Amino acid sequence: MEGGIMSLLIRNLNKSFKDVVVLRDFEVTFPEGTITCMLGPSGCGKTTLLNIIGNLIPPDSGELIGFENKMLSYVFQDPRLLPWKTVRGNIEFVLSRDIPSDEREKHTEQLIKQVELEGFASFYPAQLSGGMRQRVSIARAFACPSDIILMDEPLKGLDAGLKKNLILWFLKLWKTDRRTVIFVTHDVDEALLLSDRVIVLSQPPTRILTHMNIEQPAEERDPGSDHLLKIKRELLQAVTVR
Amino acid sequence: MKRFITKKRILNIASVLFLLVVWKILALYFHSAFIIPHPEDTFVTVLQLFTDKDFLVVAGSTVLRGMVGFVISFFLGLAVGIIAGISPGFNAFITPLLVTVRSVPVISLILLALIWFDPGTVPVFIAFLTMFPFICTNVSDGIKSVDPGLVEMAVFYKVNKRRIITGVYLPAIVPFIISGASSAMGIGWRAIIIGEVLSQPVYGIGTKMQVAQTFLNVDAVIAWTLIAILISFVFEKTIRWGERKIETWRVAS
Repeated sequence: MEGGIMSLLIRNLNKSFKDVVVLRDFEVTFPEGTITCMLGPSGCGKTTLLNIIGNLIPPDSGELIGFENKMLSYVFQDPRLLPWKTVRGNIEFVLSRDIPSDEREKHTEQLIKQVELEGFASFYPAQLSGGMRQRVSIARAFACPSDIILMDEPLKGLDAGLKKNLILWFLKLWKTDRRTVIFVTHDVDEALLLSDRVIVLSQPPTRILTHMNIEQPAEERDPGSDHLLKIKRELLQAVTVR
Repeated sequence: MKRFITKKRILNIASVLFLLVVWKILALYFHSAFIIPHPEDTFVTVLQLFTDKDFLVVAGSTVLRGMVGFVISFFLGLAVGIIAGISPGFNAFITPLLVTVRSVPVISLILLALIWFDPGTVPVFIAFLTMFPFICTNVSDGIKSVDPGLVEMAVFYKVNKRRIITGVYLPAIVPFIISGASSAMGIGWRAIIIGEVLSQPVYGIGTKMQVAQTFLNVDAVIAWTLIAILISFVFEKTIRWGERKIETWRVAS
């Protein structure tokens, strides 16, 4: 528990690839219903951590407490949309067939509307821009009735304007459906705009260098404000520590 | 784009006209219907064949044999190809068998088939042995080329296995299936007709060609050849039409 909020815990997590120790006795807490960002340089082990949480790779040892029986969604770096399915088809693909088809349809249409892709519901991924594809991927993550959303640098390669818009679309969805979000990035600005809490990671074997809470509501944040610039300076300082 | 298509069509027509001109020159040079008949005489023969009362039975028998061979090869090739694509062990087991079947001269297969089967079954058996390895290999290559990221995404979202096969694997391998079916058909028709020439079933284009050749009826041999080309062309176009219908997403993109 953290201030009355239930938390997900990771304890004594270890992971090595051949002789390279990526995680050694790593411990971290994720308060439920918040957006936590794991910030660190490339190769620091943040994607490994996310993949262990997502059960895509097994840890060598360690405990993941509170993750049992939790459903997960994943916003991959590359949107991973099925090229032969339309926007609508891609979102609906992850919905269980146990849900009646009219309900699935309604839910899908609602999400398409929320990410403002109504006019593109019948478009195939190749007919969409990079930003639109990532919006579909985000909508798909929210379509799945998950408890936790994992995001692996979902804004990588997008221009600044598009990043800001995607963050706003994401927050719009998240505000109506507050799930626990664990988000990894190497970009301080992304972390500042999207997260409630930023955890700065070191080079492997990964340890937590610092962590900060950003109290200001995400949609009110101005990257040029003194408050955010101060946090940014502190984060950058922490990131450059080896 | 439209301009390019028009240009392409003009070049296609020019290619056919070039062939006809060469044919006509050779016919004029040899000046003998027993060696090379004139194209116009051959086309008259083709028209006569079309009106022949046995034409539909003869061409239909060959098409039916081709279809039976293709359908068996297709479904078996699809099943074996999927297993070979998923299981490296099975792939290692099946690959030498497929390479062997593909390397065996068609004539050897026909000679053996003539001993084992009745004349009507020989072309079907030959069609199967020539088509199956193409479809199987293409399907297996297709499975291996499926983007692992898409499969990982589907597994992550707990999509059930049946829907992963129908929603991820099958659409991804459609181009490979089409390409395999197209190559198989191209080779298959030739093999079926060779099979018919040698096994002499009662009805079949190959049988008719063999009879025409015996009587030095060269224009009939060429006329039946043109009909065989036409059948092959119709099937190729049907496969491509099917591809466009199935792969609407590729057309739209």
